[in-house]
Amino acid sequence: MDAAALLTSARAGLGRLARSALGPRAGRPRASARVGLTLVGLLVAFAVLGPVVAPNDPYTSDFARGVTPEHLPVGPSREFWLGTDRLFRDVFARLATGARLSLSIGVTATALATAVGSVVGVLAGWYEGRWLDTLLMRVVDVGLAFPFLLIVMALGAALDRTTATTIFLTLGLTGWLGVARIVRSKTLQVRSLDYVVAARALGQSTPRVLVRHVLPNVAGPVVVIATILVAQMILAESVLSYLGAGIAPPTPTWGHMLFEGQDYLGAAPWITAAPGVAILLSVLGFNLLGEGLRDALDPRKS
Amino acid sequence: MRRVLERLAWAVFVVWATVSTAFLVNHALPSDPARMIAGQQAPPAAVAKIRKDLGLDRPLHVQYVLFLRRLVHLGPSAPSPNDREHADCAAAGPVHLDLGRSYQQRRPVVTILGERAPRTLLLALSAAIVQAAIGVTAGVIAAARRQRTSDRLAVGLSLLGVSAPTFLIGLLLQWVFAFKLRLFPIDGYGDTPAEHAASLVLPAVTLGVFGAAYYTRIVRDEMIGELSHDYVRTARAKGVGPAGVIVRHALRNALMPIVTIFGLEVGTLVGGAIITESVFRWPGIGSLSVDAMLDRDGPLIMGCVVVTSSVVVLSTLAVDLAYAVLDPRVRRA
Amino acid sequence: MRSIRGRAEPPRTTRARAATLLALLATAPACSSELPAPIPSAGPEGAAPRRGGVLELATFGDVRASLDPANITDGLAPQIAEQLFAGLVDYDRHGRIQPDIAERWVVDDDGTTYRFFLRPGVRFHDGDEVTAEDVKRSIERALHGSAPNPAATSFSMIAGFDALQEKKADALSGVEVEGRYVVSFHLAKRDATFLPILATLPLRPVCKSGGARYSDAWHPCGAGPFKLAPDGWQRGHRLTLVRHDGYFRPGLPRLDAVRWTFHENPTSQTFKFLRGDLDVLRDFVTPELLRFQADPRWKPFADFESGSQILGEAMNVETPPFDNVEIRRAVAAAIDRDALRRVRASNLSVTNQLVPPGVFGHDADLPGQRFDLEAALEHMRRAGYPYDPATKTGGWPHVIPYLVYKQGLQEFMGQVLAQQLEKIGLRVEIRIVNYPTFLALRGRRKTSPFGPGFWMQDYPDALSFLEPMFHSKAISDDGTNNWSFYRNPRFDELVDRAHEELDDARRMKLYTEAQQILVDDAPWAFTENVRLYTQRQGYVREHFTHPMWMHDVTRTWIDRATGPIAARAIFSEGGLAALLGARPHGPRGASLRDRGAGDGR
Repeated sequence: MDAAALLTSARAGLGRLARSALGPRAGRPRASARVGLTLVGLLVAFAVLGPVVAPNDPYTSDFARGVTPEHLPVGPSREFWLGTDRLFRDVFARLATGARLSLSIGVTATALATAVGSVVGVLAGWYEGRWLDTLLMRVVDVGLAFPFLLIVMALGAALDRTTATTIFLTLGLTGWLGVARIVRSKTLQVRSLDYVVAARALGQSTPRVLVRHVLPNVAGPVVVIATILVAQMILAESVLSYLGAGIAPPTPTWGHMLFEGQDYLGAAPWITAAPGVAILLSVLGFNLLGEGLRDALDPRKS
Repeated sequence: MRRVLERLAWAVFVVWATVSTAFLVNHALPSDPARMIAGQQAPPAAVAKIRKDLGLDRPLHVQYVLFLRRLVHLGPSAPSPNDREHADCAAAGPVHLDLGRSYQQRRPVVTILGERAPRTLLLALSAAIVQAAIGVTAGVIAAARRQRTSDRLAVGLSLLGVSAPTFLIGLLLQWVFAFKLRLFPIDGYGDTPAEHAASLVLPAVTLGVFGAAYYTRIVRDEMIGELSHDYVRTARAKGVGPAGVIVRHALRNALMPIVTIFGLEVGTLVGGAIITESVFRWPGIGSLSVDAMLDRDGPLIMGCVVVTSSVVVLSTLAVDLAYAVLDPRVRRA
Repeated sequence: MRSIRGRAEPPRTTRARAATLLALLATAPACSSELPAPIPSAGPEGAAPRRGGVLELATFGDVRASLDPANITDGLAPQIAEQLFAGLVDYDRHGRIQPDIAERWVVDDDGTTYRFFLRPGVRFHDGDEVTAEDVKRSIERALHGSAPNPAATSFSMIAGFDALQEKKADALSGVEVEGRYVVSFHLAKRDATFLPILATLPLRPVCKSGGARYSDAWHPCGAGPFKLAPDGWQRGHRLTLVRHDGYFRPGLPRLDAVRWTFHENPTSQTFKFLRGDLDVLRDFVTPELLRFQADPRWKPFADFESGSQILGEAMNVETPPFDNVEIRRAVAAAIDRDALRRVRASNLSVTNQLVPPGVFGHDADLPGQRFDLEAALEHMRRAGYPYDPATKTGGWPHVIPYLVYKQGLQEFMGQVLAQQLEKIGLRVEIRIVNYPTFLALRGRRKTSPFGPGFWMQDYPDALSFLEPMFHSKAISDDGTNNWSFYRNPRFDELVDRAHEELDDARRMKLYTEAQQILVDDAPWAFTENVRLYTQRQGYVREHFTHPMWMHDVTRTWIDRATGPIAARAIFSEGGLAALLGARPHGPRGASLRDRGAGDGR
C-alpha cells in the first residue's frame, strides 16, 4: 500500500511535501504530536510575549553599548540577551518581532494556498478529463515548471515594495499548485465512493454534492497538508529573504537575520544561530503537529 | 503508444508555455541589459549603442519571433566554425538548437550550458547516492531495531533533517567542515579532479540530507511492512539469522519502490540545486541562472529556463510513465 | 607530523574523541581571535632585488568578457589588461601621468594638438616593434563603430570621432602618423580630460594579430610587462601572465609570472594567505579585516589606498520632498557620518565633499557638509515642516521610499540612515530590488526620489565626478548617471570652464567653487569614502597599491625563505588531527565564513 500511496502523491506533484503528508508514518504518533503542539505553542507564546518583554528596541542601533571597541557586535549579555547584530541592534528583540511576522506569513499564506488549491483541485477532480480539468491542470503544470526565482523577481518588481503582504501573496499564489494536485487526486477517489455516486444518482445538484460530500471528505488530508505547509511557508520566507527577495529591512524576519549574520559567522555566531535555531524548531513543530493530525484523521485507524 | 505521444506533446507544450512566459516576464522587468554590459558608470550614449548592437531596441514581438525561429531550426549537420549563421548552434544531425549568445560572456549559450549542465548533473547524482545510502542504512537499522534507541534516533534525526532549510544545513556543514576543521574547501569547484571531488562532498551532502531524512522513513516503513510478512517468519523459523532475514529477504523486496524514488529524485534534485549551488558557489546551472538573472543576461536566462523546465517536465513525464507501468489500475484506465 | 604524539599516551575511546571534537568546536571561536605570525622572509629589508618567482593573487570576481582593451567591461579586467598592454602614457602609483611608450610629448595649437614621440625599440609580445602606425591602427580598431567598446564615447574629443563611430569613415582623421615614431592627435577643442583618459586602457596599442577591426576571438597581445601564454587563461578558474622578456624597461619585470585565481571566496583567500599560498590579500570579510588591521605584526605589510570612491545619499531634486533645497540641507546635516562609518569601520572614512582625497580636486580646507542636528532641525523649520523631537510630531507628512539593492553595503548603511533621519521628521522606508532594477530605476526621471549614491573615479580628476554626476547635460529621461537630476547653470559653467582649463592651479580653483555649490545645494549628502585595504606577505617586496590598476607589480620581487615553512601549521592536517583525537599543532587560524562580500559588485 505504501508504495502505491507514495507514487500517487509523487504523481500528485507536491513532491516531498505531499509524500510526507500522505506517505508512510514513522515514530510514535502521540508523542510526536505532543512535542509538535508544544513547539508550536511555544512559538506562538514567543511571538506574542517576546516583543513585550524584550528590553531593547528591535530597530535602534546602539552605538554606545551594542558595539565592542573593535567595531564588532557584542555577544549575549544581561543587556542584550542574545547579543547584537551587525548594525548593533538587539538580536532577541528582533527575533521576537520576527516570530510574529514568520508566524503570520506562514499561516496566512497557507490559508490562501490551501483555499485556492482546494477549489481548483476539487473542480479539476470532479470534472476529470473535461476541458476545465485540462485547463486547470495545464496551468498547474506550467506553474510548477516555471522558475520560482523569476516569479519572485517579477513580483518584486511589479509590486514596487516588498512587504509582508507581498510575501504572503507570493507564497500563497505559488503554494496552491501542489495542493491542487493532491486535492484533485483525493477528489478522484471520493467521486467514486458509493454514497457520492448515490447522491448524484438521486439528482442532487453538483454544487451541493461538492459542498456536502466531497469537501468534507477532502478536508482531512487538506488540514494535514495545511499544517505541514505552514512549516514550508516559514522555510520559503526565509529562502526568499536569503535570496534577496524578502521583506525589506529594517523589518526583522528570520530569513533576513540569517542572511545578515553570514559575514559575521566567525566573529559573532549568535547573529546566525538565533534565527537558525528558531526556524528549525518552528518548522519541526509544525511538521510534528501535521504528522500527529494525520494519524488522528487517518480513517484506516479508527 | 498513443498515450506516450500525447504525453510528449503535452511536455513540449508545457516547455513552450513556460519559456514564452519567461520571455515576457524577463522583458517586463524594469532593467536594462545594455546598462549591465556597459557598467554602472558608462555614459547613456554608450548604453544606447550596445542596446542597438544587441537588437534590444526592436519591438518585443519581433524579438520573440526571432528567438523562437532560432531556437530550433534545420541546418547543416556539421556547421563549420566560420559559418556565421550557425555559429551559436548545437547541432544534432540537421536539427539545430540555438539559444543565441550571452550578452556578458560573448559566447554561445549552448556552449556555456554544455559546460555547466554536467556539473549540476554530477551534483544531483552524488546527492541522490548520498541520500539513498544514508536513507537505506538508517531505515534498515531503524526497522530492525524497532522502538529502540537507534530507531528513535533515526526517526528523530530524519524529522530534523526534513525541517532544516537547505541553506541552513549548507551553512552548518560549511562552518564545521570547512571553517573549523578545514577538511573540505569552503566553496567553488577546484581545478584538478581531486579538487573537484573534495569540493563536491559538502554540496552533495547538503543536497542529500533532506532526501536522506525522507528516505529513512520510507525504507523504515517498507521494511517494517516486509518484516511482518509470512515469508519472513518462515525464513526465521528455518533458522536464517536476523541479518540474513533483513538483508536477503526483506530488503530485497522493499527495494523496488526505493529504486523507483531514486530515479525520480534526480529530477527533483536538478531543479532544487539552486540554493545549494549558490551557497557553495558550485558552477552549475543553478548558480548560472542566478547570475544570469542578476546580470539581466537575456539569452542566458532563456537558456536556463529551457533546460530547467525541460528537466522538470521530463521528470514528471517519467513519473507518469513509471506510474503507469507499476500500478495496474492506471494501466487499465 | 602524525608521530609527534608520544607512545605513552593511552589510546582514546570514541567517546573521548567525540568529546574532544565537541570541545574544539565549542572553543574554536575563542581561539580564532589571534592571527598566526607572518611568514619570515629570506633577507633583511632593503636587500638587493632578485629575479624570479610567481606572485599569487586571488579574487572573488572573474573576468567574464574579455581582456581586449577595446572591450573592457568587467571590473577586474583593467588590473590584468594593464600588465598586458603598455600605453603612450600611463599612471604612476601616485596617480600622476607619466611617459610610457611615448618618451615625451608636446602640446600645440592652444592645446588642441598633442604630438607624441615614441621610444624606439619597444617590442610587442610577438617581437614586432611598436610604431606610430600600430598606435593609429589600434585606436581606429577600438573606436570604430563595429567594436563593442563601452568606453568609446569618452574619446569623442578627437577630431573625426563621430564619422568613425558611425562607420561613415574608415580612418580617424584626428590621429596622424608623422613618422615611424611620431604620432599626433588633433582635438576638436581644448580638453583637460584628454591626457587622463588617454592614459586609461582602451586605446593602447595591440599586436598586428589584433587586426584593423575588433573581433571576439583574439588572443590578447600587447607591449606590456607581462604576456598571456596561449593556454594561460582557464576561464572561470585562473589566469597566468608570464614575463615579457622583450619589455622595454631594462631588467623589468622581475617576476616570472603573476597568477590570478578567480571565484575565490574571501574566507578561503584568508586561509590560503595565512598558509602562504597567496601573496597579496585584497578581499576580506569585515570582521577578519578588522583583525588584520588591529594586529601590529601584520600592519607593516599593509596599506590603505588613498580613496577614490564616494558614497552618499542621492536626492532627486525633481521629486518631493527633495525639490525643496532646505529639506536636502536638513538631510545633509542630519547624517551622523561617524556612526554611519561604523557599519563598516574597516573600509569607510568620513568625508564632507564630493571629490575623494585620492583624486585631483579634493580640497582638504573645504568646510563641506557636516553633522549638526540643531542645524538640520532649523532647515526643516525653514522648509516649512518643523519637527519637534521631544513630542515626535511634525516633519514631512509622507513616507519617503529609499531604493537600495540587495547584497550591498548600502543595504546596511540605509538602515542606519533611516534611524538618523527619523530624528528630524523624515520617515524613510527601504525598498530592496536587485542590482539591475536598481540601476534602471535610479536613472529614470521622476521615478525614485531617494537612494544611495556611489561613484568611483574613471580617471583621477574631479571632472570624472563633477561631469557625469551633476552636469545638466548628463541628464536624460532614462539611464542617466545624474541620479539627482540636478541642474544649476552656474555649476555647469564652472565645470565647462574646468574642462577646457589645462592649468592645474586655475582648474583647482574652479573645482573648489563647483564643490562649494554642491555642498550648499545638497543634491547629495556626501558621507563616506571607501578605501580598500591591501595586506601583503612580509616577503613580497616592492609591491605597491595602485590607484588605477590595484597592483603595481612591475618592480615586485619575492624574498621568501626557502624550504618548508616550519612555523606554519598546515590547517587541513590540523583538522584531520582533531578528528583523530589529537590536539592541533600550532596556531589555529581564522574561523570566519563569508558569502557575497561583493559590495557594489
